[in-house]
Amino acid sequence: MFSSGSKYLLGLSGLSLVAAVVYAFTVNPSDLGAIAILGLMVVVGFVAGIGLHDRSGDVATVEEAVAASAPAPRDSAWPMVFALGAALTLLGLATVPVVFLLGIVAMVAGGSEWIIGNWADRASVDPVFNNDRVRARAIGPLEYPGAAAVSLGIIAYLFSRVMLHAPKSAGALLFILFATAIVTVGFLVGYRPRFRGPVLAAVLSVGALVLVGAGVTTGILGEREQLAEASREDFYSAEHRECGEEEGKHFDHHANNKVNLRSAVLATVFVKDGKVYAEAIGLKDKLDTITVQRANNTNIMFRNLDEKEHRMVIHLGEAKVGDTGAVEKVETCTQLTGQDQEQVLTVNIPKPSAAFKDGYSITVPGAEGEVKVVVP
Amino acid sequence: MERTDSPVAHRANTRRAVVAAALGVFLAGCATNAPQDVFQPKGPNADKINNLQLIVFPLAGIVGIIVLALATYIFLKFRDKGQEIPSQAHGKPVVEITLTIVPALILAIVGVFTFRSVFDLAETADTEMVINVTGQQWWWEYDYPAQEKYGINTPIITSGQLVLPVGTKVLLRETSRDVIHSYWIPALNGKKDAVPGRINILRIEADKPGIYAGQCTEFCGLSHANMRMEAVALSKEDFAKWVANQQAAYKKPAAGTKAAEGETVFMNQCIRCHQVNGMKRDDGTPVIAAADENVYAGAAPNLSHLMTRNTFAGAMFDLLSEDCRDDVWEAKPEEFGAKYLAGVSAECLNETNLRAWLRNAPGVKPMYSDPAKLGPTGGKYRGMPNLNLTEDDIDKLVAYLLTLK
Repeated sequence: MFSSGSKYLLGLSGLSLVAAVVYAFTVNPSDLGAIAILGLMVVVGFVAGIGLHDRSGDVATVEEAVAASAPAPRDSAWPMVFALGAALTLLGLATVPVVFLLGIVAMVAGGSEWIIGNWADRASVDPVFNNDRVRARAIGPLEYPGAAAVSLGIIAYLFSRVMLHAPKSAGALLFILFATAIVTVGFLVGYRPRFRGPVLAAVLSVGALVLVGAGVTTGILGEREQLAEASREDFYSAEHRECGEEEGKHFDHHANNKVNLRSAVLATVFVKDGKVYAEAIGLKDKLDTITVQRANNTNIMFRNLDEKEHRMVIHLGEAKVGDTGAVEKVETCTQLTGQDQEQVLTVNIPKPSAAFKDGYSITVPGAEGEVKVVVP
Repeated sequence: MERTDSPVAHRANTRRAVVAAALGVFLAGCATNAPQDVFQPKGPNADKINNLQLIVFPLAGIVGIIVLALATYIFLKFRDKGQEIPSQAHGKPVVEITLTIVPALILAIVGVFTFRSVFDLAETADTEMVINVTGQQWWWEYDYPAQEKYGINTPIITSGQLVLPVGTKVLLRETSRDVIHSYWIPALNGKKDAVPGRINILRIEADKPGIYAGQCTEFCGLSHANMRMEAVALSKEDFAKWVANQQAAYKKPAAGTKAAEGETVFMNQCIRCHQVNGMKRDDGTPVIAAADENVYAGAAPNLSHLMTRNTFAGAMFDLLSEDCRDDVWEAKPEEFGAKYLAGVSAECLNETNLRAWLRNAPGVKPMYSDPAKLGPTGGKYRGMPNLNLTEDDIDKLVAYLLTLK
């Protein structure tokens, strides 16, 4: 009743169930990881069920099995992959997580291939039969999707290197060319039988070489200058820290100068004749203090009435830097804004002013005064 | 004697039921103790709405009666009695033109008065005072920006009861921390939605000192019906006293008292969400609530000067016992201020309400505060959870809260 193949698949399914239970108890039951492992269990269990039903997992007919003598396993490179994976795993423990993950992947892939190949090689004396009928049936359902995922990952990574290096304006064109090439090859494969075989292999090889060459070259050359500037200016951090008087090459590039949310603005901060003040709905005087509701998304508009370009900076107290014990000031700011132009910052301040000795405030580098922000 | 199941008796019973229902509806309009009656304006903004109602409702009533009467007449006169279908004619210009012009005229008249009222109510240029109003499930927070004219040097924060000076044009700047709510004190003005990320403005003004009740009017979740509010109008002198008291420094309970023990319980339990301004630890550092870490809306009521308010839990429960509450609510305008400013004394405290709340808050007000069901909000509460306080802790907390005046 149970063939070797179905035994293997049932075992894998059972192992997945155990792994899912262990994962759920030790990590997080509602985590995607547990769902993925349970998914593996269901899929493998389903395939095992099909194997049991039509006995397609049989390694051979009775006659074939009888004809087979005890064969010696073929030479295999997978043990080396497994060993490399083990080495990378150990290395990753001491260095960076990505090396550790690569090691795990290599160990799982190399180990699986090694075990299945070894098992298949003992099926008969015929290496072709062992490889095509036994090994391919057992590992094929995992090998092909895995290889496809790895290939797609490599293609995406190489193409992303090209896109990060190419000028922004060329991005759309490159995407169109890439997509057109894929569709054209697909069309030719579907409708021109002569295109298959050696011709297709040649085209794919050339395409792969071009992509690898372009990806490696652009990867070495690095990102385009605009992106490099953004990284240098810490543009991608939640609290942008380049809030000084000077102009940021990336941060202040193509500044927004008009906003369209008058009805949702709590207060407007002005700079005029080099001095800072605020106005708020319903209050007629120029203000040096504004009140902001705590834990609420609040829009504050900045309007520059001076000739010189200015930016508004909101000082939001202090925050600990990770587990280092160090404390740094938290601030956020608008882009440099020209005369009669305006920008809006949305802030959410969860703690009352009393949480920090200096409270919260708004300043404009290069201009006098500040607007106190009181969070009651 | 007539049989009760006869057709005649059945019709008579139906008639009696209809008459009784109509009489009930009619008499309900005569209620005098209806604090949310839109026909009892207590300020100029509500007056404008009421004046508009006095024009629109009679007109709408007359039109409604005419339409219903005509429909009833046609229904009875031309009902199917087996007669032949009358000849069908197309169009009757006089009737059609009349039925177009008359409604258009009525709508034009209504429109003129409506637009005038809408623009009058939207006027804010002569605003005299600003108060921020923030809605969240299921209570309202009020904070008063610094306004020297009223002696507000440090922003004031309170909840449940909005306190304002009489005869003052107060601009409410409304927003919400979670879902859409709607602020409505019928005696002072119409409704205005409080929308997350937006600031909507509403002007209110009270003619006389007193308390005016309201109700959230935008469905906002489980305890929407319990999201109430009260506006308290004080004379300008009394309002100045209220402001001075709200800005007064925190008074630490005397050492060795039950209230001092209650302060410790507060610091161990309540401070996770509720702020009391000025409270400090023994080392002098300020005690800061962490509502943003525990509550979905990011805020819980600030309890500084709690006992100067008459309500708690989103104005759902009275802090005053029934007699004391009636004494304040029914006070004459000239006596109201003194009675309100007296706050909640130990004698007047409604301990039943407060203790029930402290014992098991979600047991007396429906809230999403079951610790096992906080997945959708990332482990944060919507409303106050059951803190499983001991009766001893509750005694101490009540003693401490009574000092927050």
